Amino acid sequence: MREFYSLLVPVLFSLCLLGCANRSPSGGNGRDALLLKYRAAADHMRRAEFDAAKPLLDDAVTTLGGLTAGDVSARKARGYFQSESRKNFRGEPYERVMAFFYRGILYWMDGEPDNARACFRSAQIEDSDAEAGKYKADFAILDYLDGLVTAKLGGGSTDFLTRARSNARLGPMPDYDPAANILVFFEMGRGPTKYSSGEYGEQLRFRTGTSRSTAVVLTGAGLSVRVGPSDDLSFQATTRGGRQMDHVLANKAVFKGATDGFGDAAIVSGAILAGTAGRRTAADEVGAGLLIAGLVSKMISAAATPSADTRAWDNLPNLIGFSAFRLPEGSHQLKADFVDASGAVTLSRTISIQVEPGTRDTVLFLSDRP
Amino acid sequence: MYRSSVFSLQQLTSIALAAVLAGCASSGVRNPSGNGVTVLKADEQGFVAGTGVESQDIVTVTDKMARSILEVPQIQRAQGQPRVVLLPIENNTRFAINKDVLLTRIRARLNSQTRGKVMFLARERMAALEKEQQLKQSGQVTSGSDANVVEFQGADFFLTGKLDGSTTKSARGVSDYVLYTFQLIDARTSAIVWEDLAEIKKQGLDDAAYR
Repeated sequence: MREFYSLLVPVLFSLCLLGCANRSPSGGNGRDALLLKYRAAADHMRRAEFDAAKPLLDDAVTTLGGLTAGDVSARKARGYFQSESRKNFRGEPYERVMAFFYRGILYWMDGEPDNARACFRSAQIEDSDAEAGKYKADFAILDYLDGLVTAKLGGGSTDFLTRARSNARLGPMPDYDPAANILVFFEMGRGPTKYSSGEYGEQLRFRTGTSRSTAVVLTGAGLSVRVGPSDDLSFQATTRGGRQMDHVLANKAVFKGATDGFGDAAIVSGAILAGTAGRRTAADEVGAGLLIAGLVSKMISAAATPSADTRAWDNLPNLIGFSAFRLPEGSHQLKADFVDASGAVTLSRTISIQVEPGTRDTVLFLSDRP
Repeated sequence: MYRSSVFSLQQLTSIALAAVLAGCASSGVRNPSGNGVTVLKADEQGFVAGTGVESQDIVTVTDKMARSILEVPQIQRAQGQPRVVLLPIENNTRFAINKDVLLTRIRARLNSQTRGKVMFLARERMAALEKEQQLKQSGQVTSGSDANVVEFQGADFFLTGKLDGSTTKSARGVSDYVLYTFQLIDARTSAIVWEDLAEIKKQGLDDAAYR
């Protein structure tokens, strides 16, 4: 009876601690609010519901613009007994880049190319903390667009084009045409996803995305252009390298392993002592103590949560690209064929556009995602 | 002795059990009843902050520019009211902003402080103004003067500006420098009769959970 109560007290006490520690500080939806906005915004973009996407992306870039120092959810996520996914979701750099990228497209649609450029610049900054220097701020399309806006606004764009070309891995980046008035942004395929590996799931890993389409062929209005993608989000996701949070998770994993190992050793030792010694002897007491300590240690180990946060903006594309050309004022019909590597059409879209007089660009967004 | 020890363990068990039930109830959602509205002055930094262009920067910069413009000799010694048109600001930073807010605040400060020393022309409303004039010319609405005489005024000066920025990001944090420059341009000669600047630098570091 005494042993039973001796065991029950620490068990309940630990439960008390663990039960409280596992409560959400801000609720599930609060943590995932940005993630839900990301996903909804991408859906709206694909349905050409740009006015609906705008406030969602505004919220997103505003949130991303704020610093997270002092964020309670982040502090808790670093704790031994809270999982990383307890923090408010902001996404990995490639996800944050896409929020700024989409918002930049919408600014350009609204005739604010300088604010679009601001978004492309912020996007590039989001990508600037890769571990290896050559992968820092290496989205070719972002430098290219930065330069194009600058050229259109009368500034020098040579450096931007040089940087874009040095980062271009999927194909050549054409010279700028500041007079181009039709700007086509396109995206293809399904983007990277996240999973965790390691003994306790403490290592964040990325599964590369796929895309059947590899290019877009634009025809109509005297045009026939084949345009390939500029950037691959899977490449971006997998070349970021280690995060500082990975060190935190590794420490959590060590803690979890150590407490688990101690628990095993203590339980086995305690059981042997208690089993071999006579009842109510000193060795029996020590054995019981070791058993209890082992159980508590096992419970602490069980409560430690080193698993990496695998929440992901899971409706991103795998490839993104851009093309610019000139069309005269008036109504035009364009056909956009997404094609695979063999040239077979994977999806065809017909676009009616009205080119207005003046200097405002006509911005199109095409996706092969439903 | 032994009975007494068991009794105390039972008591302890009850306490622990109560703690299991009661302890959790006190944890969970932070600020369950929410935060009341906090009224802040536009020129003070709130508890939500980033390194971008924020209200306190806008207030600081536009106050400085409004004061500076009033010291321009062409404004101070002008015969009559100099007529000023606002030209959109160019944003060369990495922060998407509502560009109108800077010039709008400068205009409002000048209008409220100078009481007619400077006259701003509502060029951004030209479409509506022209439509109104056409209605008057066609006789669809009344007119207090000859509707066929163009009375839209020309500008003596253009007020415009530019935001430039520089960003540094490393493992130690992010640093953003924004340079605000404003110019008053003589519409007749294209001479820049006034220019002033303000610069703001901010830096911060994200929580390690996001790095």
